[in-house]
Amino acid sequence: MASVSASDIKQIVVACEAGMGSSVMVARALAKQLKAQGIAVTHSPVNQLAEEPHDLVLVHRGLSARAKQAVPDSVVIIFDMFLGDLNIARLVGAIQNGDVISDG
Amino acid sequence: MSEFISAGVGDQKGFRAGVQKLGGNLAGMVIPNIGAFIAWGLLTALFIPTGWLPNENFSSMVGPMILNLLPILIGYTGGRIVHGQRGAVIGSIATVGVIVGTDIPMFLGAMIIGPLMAWILKYIDKVLDPITPPGFEMLIGNFSLGIAGMLGAMLGYLGIGPIVSGITTFLGNGVGWLVDNSLLPLASLLIEPAKILFMNNAINFGVLAPLGVVDAEATGKSIMFMLETNPGPGLGLLVAFWLAGPKLLRGSAPGAIIIHFLGGIHEIYFPYVLLKPQVVLGVIAGGMVGVATFMVTGVGLVSTPSPGSIFAYMAVTPAGNHLGVLLGIALSAATSFVVTWFILRLSKGDASEADLQEAKDRSKEMKAGK
Repeated sequence: MASVSASDIKQIVVACEAGMGSSVMVARALAKQLKAQGIAVTHSPVNQLAEEPHDLVLVHRGLSARAKQAVPDSVVIIFDMFLGDLNIARLVGAIQNGDVISDG
Repeated sequence: MSEFISAGVGDQKGFRAGVQKLGGNLAGMVIPNIGAFIAWGLLTALFIPTGWLPNENFSSMVGPMILNLLPILIGYTGGRIVHGQRGAVIGSIATVGVIVGTDIPMFLGAMIIGPLMAWILKYIDKVLDPITPPGFEMLIGNFSLGIAGMLGAMLGYLGIGPIVSGITTFLGNGVGWLVDNSLLPLASLLIEPAKILFMNNAINFGVLAPLGVVDAEATGKSIMFMLETNPGPGLGLLVAFWLAGPKLLRGSAPGAIIIHFLGGIHEIYFPYVLLKPQVVLGVIAGGMVGVATFMVTGVGLVSTPSPGSIFAYMAVTPAGNHLGVLLGIALSAATSFVVTWFILRLSKGDASEADLQEAKDRSKEMKAGK
């Protein structure tokens, strides 16, 4: 389990298999929502997560074990749907409220 | 304090993650180079003798690109993943050995020797680094890469090339046998469920595309490019969810349809299947009907459509094949829609929508290992 305070989040990385398809889509949607907070949202292949600077990782459930393997000490948040995911909505809410975010 | 679902191992066994990872590495060597595949595919579709605008001069680029450029790019990228720029250089050198050792497009060979030589160079560097006298870094760095690269190219020529050539021929014959005996649609039994488990890139770029390239080089087109990439089954499934799915999922379905079918990001429909696993029967049936239609109408694609969007499909469809390709996509979408629709209707009786929401929450907790 890892945690990070919302005010410390400067960069979020969305990971998918190739780092060029679904992660780009989710990253762009999230970047729009977090524009006011000045948080950069990037994307990466899940195998290369360790090389991508980040404060928080977002990944689909199907790739979560590999994300945790790649960056065991990072906060890894899982989502289920590529559109309208409840967990991503909660994450945005938590960041806007300035909560501490934990993947425990 | 906001608690989120942990990235536990609950729903993902080590084996699956292992296969995914291997496949991810294979796909990671191919996907960054898709632009080159598209350039080659367009050149082929336009300028070969049976293309739209036959042109002898322009079509002379088709062979060198598929035989040399694409494998070298794959070997380069595979080396870069393992050991940065030096790995990329040695991967490219060694790939040339594999290429000239055979007369088929050496994608699999490049996928093996690129990362392998980069990995060896990484260890050579580790040994040489501490004993390099100051001022000799460049000399030793260049010559260690040069000598190891030369040996790697020789290894590729003598060892990897012939072995991989044999494997590719064997697999190609196996596929030919499946086609001859009209058994190819059975491939959907494996491919469609594996896709849902995020092995889509591994299957397409790791296995099917290398076989398809060999096929396409010989005959101008291949059905292998269509087995995993057909957007029809996912389209039918999403339409069924839109019209008959649980209320919770209906709202997002139209957007998902656009992203899937036009944008070509198939991942977007996987979650719908993961939430209601029975509907995998729909995409399997759709996939089989699609492959059967492609087979009966004798169509193929000149290159792998990536992403699997209808636009990419149309771009890499050779002249005269459009009708069969569109028919296969339409029939697979219709089949997948009907089967999924029935499954959704039937399962509605035993689980109300409130139950589904509850089940979703519960399965999340279970999967998270709480």
